[in-house]
Amino acid sequence: MLGYIIRRVVAAILVVIISSMFVFAIFFLGPTNAAAVICNQNGRCTQERQALLEHSLGLDQNVVPAYGEFAKGVFVGRTISTGPGAHYDCSAPCLGISYVTKEEVTELLKDKYPATLSVALVGGVVYLFLGCTLGILAAKWRGTTTDKLLVGSSLIVSSIPYYLVALLAWLFLVNEFNLFPKTGYFPITDDPVKWASGLLLPWLVLGVANSPQYARFGRGSMVETMSEDFIRTASAKGLPRNKVLFKHGLRAAIVPIITIFGLDLAALLAGTVFTEKIFDIDGIGKWGLEAIPVDLPVIAATVLVGAVLVVAANLIVDILYSFLDPRVRLA
Amino acid sequence: MTVADLEVLGAGDAETAPPVDASGKKITGRSPTRIAFDRLRRDKVAVVSATIVFVLALLGLFAPLISDLFGVYVDKPPSRPATQYLLYGYPRPEYGPPFGGLTWDHPLGLSPGTAYDNFAGLLYGIRTSFTVALLTTLLTTTIGVTIGLMAGFARGALDKVISFVIDVFLSFPFLLGALALAPIITNRFATDAAKLEKAQFISLISVLVLFTWMGLARLIRGQVLSLREREFIQAAQVIGVPTSRILFKELLPNLVAPIVVTISLSMPAFVAAEAGLAYLGIGLTGIPSLGQTIVRAQGYYEQYGLYLWAPVVTIMLLVMALNLLGDSVRDAFDPSTRR
Repeated sequence: MLGYIIRRVVAAILVVIISSMFVFAIFFLGPTNAAAVICNQNGRCTQERQALLEHSLGLDQNVVPAYGEFAKGVFVGRTISTGPGAHYDCSAPCLGISYVTKEEVTELLKDKYPATLSVALVGGVVYLFLGCTLGILAAKWRGTTTDKLLVGSSLIVSSIPYYLVALLAWLFLVNEFNLFPKTGYFPITDDPVKWASGLLLPWLVLGVANSPQYARFGRGSMVETMSEDFIRTASAKGLPRNKVLFKHGLRAAIVPIITIFGLDLAALLAGTVFTEKIFDIDGIGKWGLEAIPVDLPVIAATVLVGAVLVVAANLIVDILYSFLDPRVRLA
Repeated sequence: MTVADLEVLGAGDAETAPPVDASGKKITGRSPTRIAFDRLRRDKVAVVSATIVFVLALLGLFAPLISDLFGVYVDKPPSRPATQYLLYGYPRPEYGPPFGGLTWDHPLGLSPGTAYDNFAGLLYGIRTSFTVALLTTLLTTTIGVTIGLMAGFARGALDKVISFVIDVFLSFPFLLGALALAPIITNRFATDAAKLEKAQFISLISVLVLFTWMGLARLIRGQVLSLREREFIQAAQVIGVPTSRILFKELLPNLVAPIVVTISLSMPAFVAAEAGLAYLGIGLTGIPSLGQTIVRAQGYYEQYGLYLWAPVVTIMLLVMALNLLGDSVRDAFDPSTRR
């Protein structure tokens, strides 16, 4: 068991390091003039000024020492200078400074994260709940018209691209008919009611658009479980049908669903880009998108944090799963 | 395919087919692909979706021809100054819907502000969707199948390395990849519009391929791992059939079902992804794309609904039809489906 966990953790750290190198290399080697934004800020951008900036930002170095400096910044912090006399302190988990606002990217990230977290977590719970309920009901009434209706409609809903559902919901439910309050993010600490009302529609849309896959998966998992011997035993000893379904069946059927949920949630946290752009929510997805094409450190940080989150979620799900299902460890 | 498999497939077929011809056809021994195709032809949803996809594909394929026929263009500015077509930024009533009646000059009207023809934009948007989806599917399938075959057949160290690479790529959401590459491409090629256009197209395809080949590779690897232990592969190895022949003549034909199913389910995903990225502004900007039209039309939806609805309905129709078709294909190839 311990061996398995250590193996997985080491692999995950390796993936994180490789992704960080990958992202760093893209952003370091890719652009022809990365410092153009800062250079243009004070009006005229001359060749000399550009060269000076690139030198002080360390953009004229080789990629390997530059990555070393970046990695050092992540653990102990560093000072970034954007020219003579302009030094910015970047404390411990340093991911650089924004070229536009000159603030630490980590600080900005802390500002933007609560919005994304609110959207992803509650939205995730909504679609998990909705999907599982529909899946269980479909499995319960398997073969009936209700089942066919549920499966058929879930197929249709899941075949519409998510961003179109979100866009139409926003245009019509908020703007045209005013059925929902204006969407946006307001800190929960300021006004919980406003927080909830601003995110109500995004949660619902996320829930409706993502639940079909859970409904289908839940139905399949439930149908499979219901044909197991222990379910027959439970029914045979005279337990009420609902008790068999929810106490015995659901417990076994929910394990694979939770696994998928863990992975989905990570992807959701990594970028609720469409949701944030369409519903105008000030989270990291929208932030990263707005930083394009100039504010490279911000975009790099968004991508990097997203990748780390996904890897971490993968790791947690894998380890939890190995507790639930011993066969995984031996594979 | 072994006899046992054929019987299993036949049994699944008999379940859905009317009992009369089930017994008669089982004996004739049809190939699994043939069985799947027959099931597909009887599936009403599949037939309807395939028709929709076919019609849209024709529209995309003949986009230059059709737009020439109507005398509408997407790459040329309007023949007269745009002000002649526009009234306070909106198309004049005489130039088609929504303010005027339908004119064959501009069947879907003109776009507010620029007076470009919407119909031409739609046609070329469909063309872009299909081009991107087909090209990406072709590349992902080739790469995925090759790598999957290699990993599954080689086992040992090579398999370990490939599996690790697959895991690394799987842990990286493709939206983030697109987000990372878009600004770099713009920064590097922004000087020249033609070069930027080309660079965007290549980067879009490579991002889509780079973050989607793993699914098929993993699937194929798993299948190969189990198939290579079967008697017919062992027999081929014993009589000294070269490895490349085993891979492509013995193994590959047995992988047709998962490959076809993956292709048919990845097409709609690519169409949706292309339009979605264009909507976010990190996809194609130089070449017409339905996603771009949606962004532009978003602000006009109250005054000029048609401008927004045309691309929205087209994407919806195309993605839905492709998805439902893919689902039917999966069911047709799956001997255990109950429908």
